[in-house]
Amino acid sequence: MSTATFAERRAALGLCVHCWLTVLLLAVLVWTSFAYLSVDLSSLFSIESGSSMARFILRFFPPDLGGEFLRRIARGTIETLAISALGTLLAAGAGVLLALPAAGRFGAALKVATRFLLNFLRSVPELVWAALMVLAAGLGPFAGTLALALHTSGVLGRLFAESLENAPPEPARALTLGGAAPALAFAYATLPLITPQLVAYSLYRWEMNIRMATVLGFVGAGGLGQMLYYELSLLHEPQACSIILAMLALVVLVDAASAWIRRRQMRSGG
Amino acid sequence: MSFTLDRVGLIHPGGNAPEQRALRAVSIDAARGERLAIIGPSGAGKTSLLRILASAIRPTEGRVSVLGQNPWQLTGSQLKRLRSRIGFVRQSPPLPPRQRAITAVIAGRLGEWPWWKSALSLIYPVDIAGPRDELARLDLADRLFDRCDRLSGGQLQRVGVARVLYQRPDLLLADEPISALDPALADLTVSELHSEAESRGATLVASLHAVDVALRRFPRVIGLKAGEVIFDLPPAKVSDAVLSDLYASETVMLPPREPRPSDLPADGCVPADLPGGGRPDGAVPPRAI
Repeated sequence: MSTATFAERRAALGLCVHCWLTVLLLAVLVWTSFAYLSVDLSSLFSIESGSSMARFILRFFPPDLGGEFLRRIARGTIETLAISALGTLLAAGAGVLLALPAAGRFGAALKVATRFLLNFLRSVPELVWAALMVLAAGLGPFAGTLALALHTSGVLGRLFAESLENAPPEPARALTLGGAAPALAFAYATLPLITPQLVAYSLYRWEMNIRMATVLGFVGAGGLGQMLYYELSLLHEPQACSIILAMLALVVLVDAASAWIRRRQMRSGG
Repeated sequence: MSFTLDRVGLIHPGGNAPEQRALRAVSIDAARGERLAIIGPSGAGKTSLLRILASAIRPTEGRVSVLGQNPWQLTGSQLKRLRSRIGFVRQSPPLPPRQRAITAVIAGRLGEWPWWKSALSLIYPVDIAGPRDELARLDLADRLFDRCDRLSGGQLQRVGVARVLYQRPDLLLADEPISALDPALADLTVSELHSEAESRGATLVASLHAVDVALRRFPRVIGLKAGEVIFDLPPAKVSDAVLSDLYASETVMLPPREPRPSDLPADGCVPADLPGGGRPDGAVPPRAI
């Protein structure tokens, strides 16, 4: 029986030194973060703050389920859905248009320029776009739609461009070799290859945008979020509770619907 | 003259690997309406030769003239017009999986149709009878509205042939057009390629691995080996010695060439000689096997 060599022992130890150093570093980071923010951990768990939090939560119950208010919630829900659908649809259209130059179909210069534009659109969060659009277009759903469309254009344009670049070139090449114009070869050969991906990406972003649209209202961009902000600032907790429940129901429904669509797509995707 | 290749050579740039010579001093002339088969071992340069004729790649040496024009001296629109007169059947046709067979066939005429007609056909096919007839010639009429990913390899290969038949080219190139077909369908497909070429005076060039089909069906057979033309003969003059020379290699032995009785379909369903002239006018040919 052979014993472990010194080099083996050192190699085995080396891995663990790394682990322990990482753990130590994390601990120091957590501690300094608390110290820097001067967060007092003990107050989070004190009885006094616990009871005040419970009192605050109890003020939300029972939720306001009056017929008139439920009708307003329904209108808000539809507005949120409409904002997200319209925003995603606009973004999908713009995404396709921007994906063509971004995939290098019109030369290297336009590729770099469009990629920069897409990065810019994408790197500004929806909430910031919404705040800007509220200033530009005024309070209401129009600002929310624009905000979602701008940010999602950046995301979908990038994803669509990647689908385009990864699509095999042979089908379109076969058609241009038969004398077809490049645009028609694209429509007949490349588009059918990438359409399933484009639809899947758009549906996925729509799902995310519905959730986002419920929050956008906080900066005044319409929908359930704006209602929630309004009721909360008037300290109408029961009404706010109903709105939060409506948001929850909406998100659960959207999740279920998108799961159903994905299952169906997979089955028909053969 | 349908095409002229004059001492054509092709060298694939190797990248990191050493560059590879695909064709060496290939000279072939074909008159309008001629029908040629190209045979030879794998890697002999058959596909490269066809791709040069299709103006897909530019030869590194020599002179090419296709349908009276040098494709590499044309303007963009002239080249487009020339290419719309060249049909190229690929061994495995590159068709989008979700496209319907009818749309895949219609795409054969994109070079000829005005753009609005092509664009409209994406939504509703402008011509339904035409693609149906071409598919019917290849025993696929019942698959007209099926998606390509619902078709088998042999059916897909025939959709690719139907697209080129629908294109009605003056130069019909076919790269292993029957590699995925059973003997009966292979015979039918070769017959239809011949009758198409014959009825319109088009030139047909097909590369084939099935030596018996090449010798039986083509009036002119070209043997290609290691990028060079070994022989260019009528089939009657292609002897066993010539063939074994063509396919000879140090490692692989050539199987006996005579078809054994067991290779032939038992019940004689193979049409001995299909009518060569016109198309069957929408009539579905009897289902082979």
